[in-house]
Amino acid sequence: MAEFPPPVRRISSEQAPNVVDPATRQEIPEPIARALAPSYGPERLRIDEVSIHYAGSARPAVNRVTLPVRQGEVLALIGPSGCGKTTLLRSLNRLVELTPGATRDGRILLDGDDIDQLEITRLRRRVSMIFQQPNPFPMSIFDNVAYAIREQAMRRPGKAVLQPRVEKALRRAGLWDEVADDLGRPALRLSGGQQQRLCIARALAVEPDVLLMDEPCSALDPISTGVVEELIHELRQNLAIVIVTHNLAQARRVGDHVAFMYLGDLVEYAPTEELFTNPRADRTRDYVQGAFG
Amino acid sequence: MLRSLFRPLTDRRAERMLGATAVSVVLVIVAMIVFIAIEAWPSFQHNGLSWFGSGKDVDAELGAMVNAGADPSGDAYQLRAWPLLYATALTTVLAVGLGVFIAVLASIFIVELAPPRVRSIVVPVVRLLAAVPSVVYGLIGILVLVPFVNDHLINEGQRESVSYVITLNGPGLLVSVVLLTLMITPIMISIVVDALTAVPRGWREGALALGVTRWRAVMSVSVRAIRPAIVAAAVLASARALGEAIMLSMVSGSKGFSPQPWDGLIFLFEPLRPLAATIAEQSEGIAAPALKSSIYAMALVLLVSSLFLSIGGSLIKRRLRLGTAR
Ligand SMILES: Nc1ncnc2c1ncn2[C@@H]1O[C@H](COP(=O)(O)OP(=O)(O)OP(=O)(O)O)[C@@H](O)[C@H]1O
Ligand SMILES: [Mg+2]
Repeated sequence: MAEFPPPVRRISSEQAPNVVDPATRQEIPEPIARALAPSYGPERLRIDEVSIHYAGSARPAVNRVTLPVRQGEVLALIGPSGCGKTTLLRSLNRLVELTPGATRDGRILLDGDDIDQLEITRLRRRVSMIFQQPNPFPMSIFDNVAYAIREQAMRRPGKAVLQPRVEKALRRAGLWDEVADDLGRPALRLSGGQQQRLCIARALAVEPDVLLMDEPCSALDPISTGVVEELIHELRQNLAIVIVTHNLAQARRVGDHVAFMYLGDLVEYAPTEELFTNPRADRTRDYVQGAFG
Repeated sequence: MLRSLFRPLTDRRAERMLGATAVSVVLVIVAMIVFIAIEAWPSFQHNGLSWFGSGKDVDAELGAMVNAGADPSGDAYQLRAWPLLYATALTTVLAVGLGVFIAVLASIFIVELAPPRVRSIVVPVVRLLAAVPSVVYGLIGILVLVPFVNDHLINEGQRESVSYVITLNGPGLLVSVVLLTLMITPIMISIVVDALTAVPRGWREGALALGVTRWRAVMSVSVRAIRPAIVAAAVLASARALGEAIMLSMVSGSKGFSPQPWDGLIFLFEPLRPLAATIAEQSEGIAAPALKSSIYAMALVLLVSSLFLSIGGSLIKRRLRLGTAR
């Protein structure tokens, strides 16, 4: 079928945002699209020819990857272990800079601005990250959610200011009903699934534009996973979401677009159903059919 | 018989043995307190609560006790120990406060900022410093710090202004606190470094990913998380500072005097003598019953304060841990 490596589909940044019906993947005519409140919003993040090298390794961990991230859609990154998914994700809010010796080439644009030009604290508030291991801070539930708001404020905000924002974030993360009776409880006493949703609430409290999730469900049981996936579905209305997952069924359930990476290369980027049912590259087909990985 | 000791114990026997050990340790401590309390009783009995008060010259009182001989009258027991208590509290609080501050900052530097090579040198050196006998610090004090303070920091005007009560010639509060801090800080650094190193990376990365600066991430998450360890370090350091006798007796000026903060800069150079140093210095005169009882009374006060210190410390730690508990 296709030769390997297949040509990476490059998406030009000038292209107008797609207006596609998420169910049928058909392009919707403009007027109807507006009426339907399209699930594909404007492009928020553009990954442009990004390569990332770690010191001491010959080949780049991420090799000239170009991808768009749109509001209103979930972009799922899949690929075998070590293919650079985490590395790519961590470069999007410049967390990869914490690794000594890691260097990045190429540009990443957030709403058209190069993220290297943005102040790093502002960037990370706009592009927030959820980690594989739930990492609530050792404080109360309330303090966890209020953490970023407090840190961002010039003067210490009072409880009256914080309370509504904390409640809103917890509601958006679908955790409010479970914890509302005692927000002073230590966050580490919550279950793993609740902790992960608390981390999501903590990230949502500062109203980010993009949410990065690195295997957010891998430490959770199936029920908590279902709850978090449900949550991702709802959140994507107002956020651009990038999720890394090893679970192909999950990528299929929550992803609107899927990007398949292999050894640092972006092999294929396509609407979810298309990538799973009719992959263009052999590597992709082998991977989604479980032949390797 | 001996071999049976090394045979694997059944759980119940092991439990019983551990229980017996714990009980006997507690018994020994209680017996010690009771013994000291009995010996101390005459001193408290004759002075009442004014034992803890001020007003007289402690050194003169202690001298009188020796002179009172083997069969002292009630008056010979008179003791107003306030200057000694105050000196103990003052040196301990200043040194521990300063030490905690330095230890936290130094640990942050070691764990967060120092390159791995620097770290691998500094940490063992700090651990080594923690093991230096306090007498060595005392020696450094006498040979280096005391002459330095005497020659360069104290001027004649200051000497004159207080010459009618005390002589300022180097040993005093400043040297005591500096050396005490130097003595207790390494152990605190080593405890805090261990705790900081054990802070899960995810917490710090989580804070950074929320758009918090590195400094704030360390202060608001890592340091906050290790508060129990900081308290533990402070309690340990306070216990060492409270009990430090020899070094302080060498460099404190050894005078039953209460340095007054409102004396201005002179405050730092004024001599003093904490309880532990007093006990060490006066123990030769223990044949005199009045002095013996007074010394035991001081020992009891020291013992009870360190007991309260560790109880208070664990209460605070428990409160702080609540936030962390799994
Ligand atoms: N801190 C690091 N220093 C050096 N090399 C690294 C570092 N982190 C990752 N790598 C290398 O970069 C490549 C990509 O790693 P990355 O963690 O991004 O993979 P991944 O796709 O997230 O894998 P997984 O699915 O197992 O999480 C790997 O070959 C890995 O060995
Ligand atoms: Mg990964």
